[in-house]
Amino acid sequence: MAAYVLHLAILAGIYIILTVSINLIIGYAGQVSLGHAAFYGIGAYISALVSLHWHLPFPAAALAALLAAGLCGLALGLPTLRLKEDYLAIVTLGFGVIVDLVFLNLEVTGGPDGLPGIPAPSFLGLDFRPPWLYLILVVVIVILVLIAAYRLVDSYHGRALRAIRDHEITAQVMGINTPAYKIVVFTLAAALAGLAGSLYAHYITFINPETFGLHTSILILTMVVLGGMGSIAGSVLGAVILTILPEMLRQAHAYQELIYGGLLMLLLIWRPSGLLGRGKLSLKFLKREG
Amino acid sequence: MFFQQLINGLTTGSVYALIALGYTMIYGILGLINFAQGEIYMCGAFVAVLLLATGKVNFFLAFALGMAAAAILGVLLERAAFRPLRGFHPLVPLISAIGASILLQSLALLLFGPNDRPFPIQFTFSSVEIAGLPVSTLQVAILAAALGFMGLLVVFVRYTTYGKAIVACALDRDTARLMGINVDRMVSLTFLLGSALSGAAGIMMAVYYNATYPRMGMLPGLKAFSAAILGGVGSIPGAILGGLLLGVAESLGAAYISSGFKDAIAFAILILVLLLRPQGILRGRGD
Amino acid sequence: MLTLKSVQAGYGRLPVLKGISLHVRAGEVVTLIGGNGAGKTTTLRTISGLLPPRKGTIEFAGQDLTRLPAERIVTLGLALVPEGRRVFRTLSVTANLELGAFHRRDKGAVRRDLEEIRQRFPILKERAHQAAGTLSGGEQQILAIGRALMARPRLLMLDEPSMGLAPRMATQVYNILAELKAAGTTILLVEQNARAALKVADRGYVLETGRIILDGAAADLREDPEVQRAYLGKGYQEVWE
Repeated sequence: MAAYVLHLAILAGIYIILTVSINLIIGYAGQVSLGHAAFYGIGAYISALVSLHWHLPFPAAALAALLAAGLCGLALGLPTLRLKEDYLAIVTLGFGVIVDLVFLNLEVTGGPDGLPGIPAPSFLGLDFRPPWLYLILVVVIVILVLIAAYRLVDSYHGRALRAIRDHEITAQVMGINTPAYKIVVFTLAAALAGLAGSLYAHYITFINPETFGLHTSILILTMVVLGGMGSIAGSVLGAVILTILPEMLRQAHAYQELIYGGLLMLLLIWRPSGLLGRGKLSLKFLKREG
Repeated sequence: MFFQQLINGLTTGSVYALIALGYTMIYGILGLINFAQGEIYMCGAFVAVLLLATGKVNFFLAFALGMAAAAILGVLLERAAFRPLRGFHPLVPLISAIGASILLQSLALLLFGPNDRPFPIQFTFSSVEIAGLPVSTLQVAILAAALGFMGLLVVFVRYTTYGKAIVACALDRDTARLMGINVDRMVSLTFLLGSALSGAAGIMMAVYYNATYPRMGMLPGLKAFSAAILGGVGSIPGAILGGLLLGVAESLGAAYISSGFKDAIAFAILILVLLLRPQGILRGRGD
Repeated sequence: MLTLKSVQAGYGRLPVLKGISLHVRAGEVVTLIGGNGAGKTTTLRTISGLLPPRKGTIEFAGQDLTRLPAERIVTLGLALVPEGRRVFRTLSVTANLELGAFHRRDKGAVRRDLEEIRQRFPILKERAHQAAGTLSGGEQQILAIGRALMARPRLLMLDEPSMGLAPRMATQVYNILAELKAAGTTILLVEQNARAALKVADRGYVLETGRIILDGAAADLREDPEVQRAYLGKGYQEVWE
């Protein structure tokens, strides 16, 4: 039982990082990313490959994952800067599908069978194989990510982001370098997702393409919408709820996606700001004028 | 070999075109992407297949009813996922439509299970000779039917009052209202027509691949969207052209480049178009 | 025929009309003049139902229009020729005209009206199958007027019909208005070009920052020194010297 709780906690932590990362894009910069699981996957695979083939220690592997995912984010974000939300949505979706196909078809990624035998982290003289120790690792990283996120959000840059989200043209007129912000956020979010991927890979020690497909992108999206776009605390809440809920509804496994879909629709109609979305701020983002 | 691939491509392309028409009309009048278009396609297929499986309905009636079911689903979808969210940031109806898409897929999964269902009627198809080369009658039938539906739509939009009213709403919503046009009704009509076409597309593919399953709409839906963008979103001839081109490109690409990445071709084209010529070939609404 | 009482309207948190009252009698040509941003277009948009008023009432031929949507209002006999023409660009000239009569049930009469309008404005017959967007500004204005007339309105409203037109075309448009007036059409005309408007109108209202500051017979307004200075361009010498 305790092992199970630990397992859930570790997963929740990983999802928190993922949710916060996508929240930066959607809730703060007002963009869309429907293929975010692709960065998660890129991070996971890079971290796995790097430690399997080059025997790099975990911190280096995680860093590689972060950089690789971030670079892919940059590569995707740059050319798509000018796109409107709905086009961007489809492009990120398509990106997710393409990356998924790459994982499935490339030899080095092991195809549909994936990569087994990923070594558990071992550094600072500690072997992180025992779950409780891994949890501590995850918690530390999560706390660091949250601190960074809060500092970003409360700073001038955070306000600039929200300005871009609410009314991009006005933000530009006020002298905010919109493209720069959008790119930085996108890259950052991708990098964070990559980090989460690395944590996942070294925990489960086995990865395959299924984990990083559209299904997961939608799951993260639901977490963000549920918890509240534009609220970091909301991301935490959303991630925790949607990690625990499916496990509690084990028998209702088939109903999971049904619930996600229904949740998304209902939430948007009844409470678009999510559970913890800041009332006024989120509503301004979500309602048009006149 | 090339000719065969071309025919294959035109066949799947004409189906993509049917779905793309739905996207383009909805985008034209609402400015939004209907993420659940693929599920409407799937619904048409399932209704037809289920009716045929009872053995009490003939093919054409089942086809018509399948289209009707898809059309009704489309109208309901508009009421549930789009109308209540008017006036919000465009991200909101987008996510709502995604939610609807997932909802419909998982509903179908629960009701029908994940396995492929073969088409209840096994047609015997032969070959005909066109320009001295063999072509399957199935492909001819699909192409003919698809082009027929597309033609009907074009006639509707160009020559009937309601068709012109829909175009008017897409061009200038407020002024359309000044003509006494009830825009909400035109939006519903648009969904009705676009969904009927998608339903027809679904049934055709159910026959072509002899497989009907809940997730069947996902990829064709996304590819059809690429096709709509390629041709110029908001433009009806654009959707038709885009669909056919995409089908052919996919077919040829799968044969000559790599078959594993066949599905990626549509997205690669999408990304290229959006980067290089976002208004598409025939210059759609492009706002 | 048309009565506005203390109408207030605006966009979002911005109030534009701050309580205007005016009326138009059957057979009259009334003009609403004022500078940029005075609220002229907003007034017409409110009357035609595109913008719901915050306060006040709008009555037309005994019916309360205040809360009705635009698509209903046109069926009651009010047609608007919007600012900037707003023809349906990719539709043909004929299609544009036909759409003007969209709400009408009497198909036979519609066809006759279409013929009549094409007779009266030969350019529309000439360019019947051309896409409306390819017409010149003046031609589009004529099309927009023809389209509004297809609705067989009891009251025709026009929003700055001469805007952006070359002087020759503007004169042609105003000649059309004069003809319509002679035929007994009731018209509410919003204009920035006060001189032309006051020449064809019977009565006028002057709108400034959302309020009516002056009203009266067109002839009187033309002589009014305030109007002359602010809108008719006279007297600048007195001010500057």
